[in-house]
Formats: sequence, C-alpha cells, structure tokens
Amino acid sequence: MTDAKKQQGNKLSEAEAIERAKQGDAEAFEALYNLHKRRVYSLCLRMTANTAAAEDLTQEAFLQLFRKIGTFRGESAFSTWLHRMSVNVVLMQLRKKGLPLVSLEETMETEEDAPRKELGAEDSRLAGSVDRMQLQRSIAALPPGYRMIFLLHDVEGYEHNEIAEMVGCSIGNSKSQLHKARMKLREILKTSRAEKATKP
Amino acid sequence: MTCEEFERVLPELGDGHTFEQEAHLRSCSACSDLVADLNAISQQARLLQDSEDPSPWVWNSIEVALRQEGLIRQPHLEHPRTPAPLLGWKLRWLVPAAAMFLVAFGVLKFQRGTGQPRVAEQQPPPVGVETAGLQPMAGEDLQLLKTVGERMPSMRAEYEANLQSVNAYIRDAEQSAHSDPNDEVAQQYLRNAYQQKAMVYEMALDRSLP
Repeated sequence: MTDAKKQQGNKLSEAEAIERAKQGDAEAFEALYNLHKRRVYSLCLRMTANTAAAEDLTQEAFLQLFRKIGTFRGESAFSTWLHRMSVNVVLMQLRKKGLPLVSLEETMETEEDAPRKELGAEDSRLAGSVDRMQLQRSIAALPPGYRMIFLLHDVEGYEHNEIAEMVGCSIGNSKSQLHKARMKLREILKTSRAEKATKP
Repeated sequence: MTCEEFERVLPELGDGHTFEQEAHLRSCSACSDLVADLNAISQQARLLQDSEDPSPWVWNSIEVALRQEGLIRQPHLEHPRTPAPLLGWKLRWLVPAAAMFLVAFGVLKFQRGTGQPRVAEQQPPPVGVETAGLQPMAGEDLQLLKTVGERMPSMRAEYEANLQSVNAYIRDAEQSAHSDPNDEVAQQYLRNAYQQKAMVYEMALDRSLP
C-alpha cells in the first residue's frame, strides 16, 4: 500500500472501518489493525515475555476478531471487545501450555517469590524515580501468576471482579495477588536502583 | 493502628482510607512511603498500555490468512471509461495465472523431482541479483519485483523480503518432502508453501494494478 493510501486508511473512522471490514474490505481490516495493534501486541508481549509468542498471539487475536466482526453490533466499545478477546486468546494459550494463570495461595509461595517485608527500612522510598524501562524489566521478572494479575489490573485497567471471571479465581485472590505483585515490583525496583548506585 | 495491622488491610484498600488509616499514614513514614511507592508503580504501569509495536510480518501473516479464508473479498472493479494501459491488462491476466501456475508447478515439481539431486534443480543465479546471505531469486520473482518497484517503489523492499522468506519456506518444505516422499505432512507443508507464494504474487499484483 502506498503511503498516501495508508494515510487514507488511517483516516477511516473506526465505525466506518468496522462496517467496511464486515463487507470484506482489505483496507478496512488494515485500518482496524493499525488502530489497535500496539495495545494488543503490548498486552501479548507482557503476558508472555516472549516476542515470537507475542506476535503469534497478536495474529491469532486479530484473526479471531476479523472472523467474528460480522457479529459485532456495537453494544460495547469495539476496543473493549477486541481487548477482551485478546486477553482470552492469551489466557487460552497459557492454559494450553499448562502455565499457572494465578499463583497458588500463600502455601505454595516460595521464599524467593514472596515479596520481602521491609517496613521501616531506611531509603525505602521509590516514588518519583520509577521509570518506564525499569518497570518493564521488573514486570518481566515477576513470577507468571503475579505478572498476569498485575498486567490485567494495573496496565489494562480491568476490575477485580472481571479478572476473577477471566482467570477463574476469587476476587479476594485477585486482590491478594495484585498486592503481592506490586510489593515484589517495589522490591525488584529498589534492588536494581541500589545496584545502579553502587556501580562506578 | 500498628504497621502490621495497616499492612494486613493494605491489599483491600482502594483510593480512600479510613480515619484510622489516615492517622497511621500521617504518623508512620515507612507506611506512607510504601503506599506512595505502590501508587507510583501503579500509575507508571498504565503508561505501558500501548508501548510496543509488532513487526510488519504480523500484519502480512494476518492478511495472507484473511485472503486464504476468503474474509477479504476482491472489490468489484469498475470498467474504466478510457482503455487501460496494455501493461495493466497483461498484469490482470497474470494474477490468477501466476497463482495457478505456482501451485501447479509446486505439485508437479514435487511429484516428478523426488529422485533428482537438488543441485540439478537449481537455476544459475541471474547476474547481479545475488544478495549477501540470501538465495538468488528466479526470473519470475525478479519480474514481479520490477513491476512492484515501478508502481509502488516504497513496497519493493517489503515484497522482496516476503519473497525471500517464502522461497526459504519452499526450500525447507522441498527438503522435507524429498527426504521422505511418503510423509503426507511434508507434502501438505510443500503445497502450503507454494500456496503462500501464490498469495504473495496475488497481493503484489492486485495492489500494483492500475
């Protein structure tokens, strides 16, 4: 597609693109893909922490969307519909691979995974010094169960009741996992900051 | 309220705090630092929502799949009021012809060529087309790239990469099929490889037609 055509495609409103995609219009499919690719791919990448897997899942999510686009009636926002579908594609894939979607309760938590309690410790404040790159690396280092809930809640903005339904856990479990994930992230971020500070 | 008590209720806390919790946060710097840090992490996390771009291959694969599944329908072409250039009409015939030729060629080549050594199958590379680390392209591929380059210069590199990739896929598939001619999966793999190449031709010519 030429740049001019691409620009024209991007100028299609989402509603127009949806209607044209229902008729099988190639440019409309591409316009919808361009509108949402970053969010869907970012979600897949963070959930899997693997570029190749994230690309496969992005492809699968959009294909599912385009196969079902004829059934989209606009009761919910298109982006909500797509992102929910993308989350389901990722969760399905992780289930297939036998990976835990949620960490088992505290009884199964290893010493290494559990965030350490450092209340009262000096030099414990991070606020204002969390940068995006650091945070991305720290999220990738989270145990998969913590990562999943953290991404769904803090990055994607789902509520605990929605997460509980999607992942198949209790609301209390979702809240507890989120808290542990944030605590663990704080610990990782603090460690990396301390390591940075000691480097000459 | 003690720090331990505050920590116990922390996972349940939303944006608001009770009077007792507020009082504890005012008097305890460790707990107020903790809450500030967790809030900062949460706020930064929202900025990660759409921070990564997928590679262009993702859309290419989606488009190929959409075409294979018939979800992308060919637009009804209006007859031009003025006669189309001769080259355009020639290329229109090429779209289905190239697709059929590639699939048929692939199947025939596999059926006939299982006993021949691979060196004999390879054509000598055309002068000046061999790129470092890449396999040379056949004449019809070069013709396609020439057509794309003339009509959509910005897309030439992408189609060249597509062709290199699909040719590598065909070579792998041929190798598997030759090593075990009775392997049905390998045969299917080879047919798919040729169908993918036909699809690349179809997309390139479809888009580059006047």
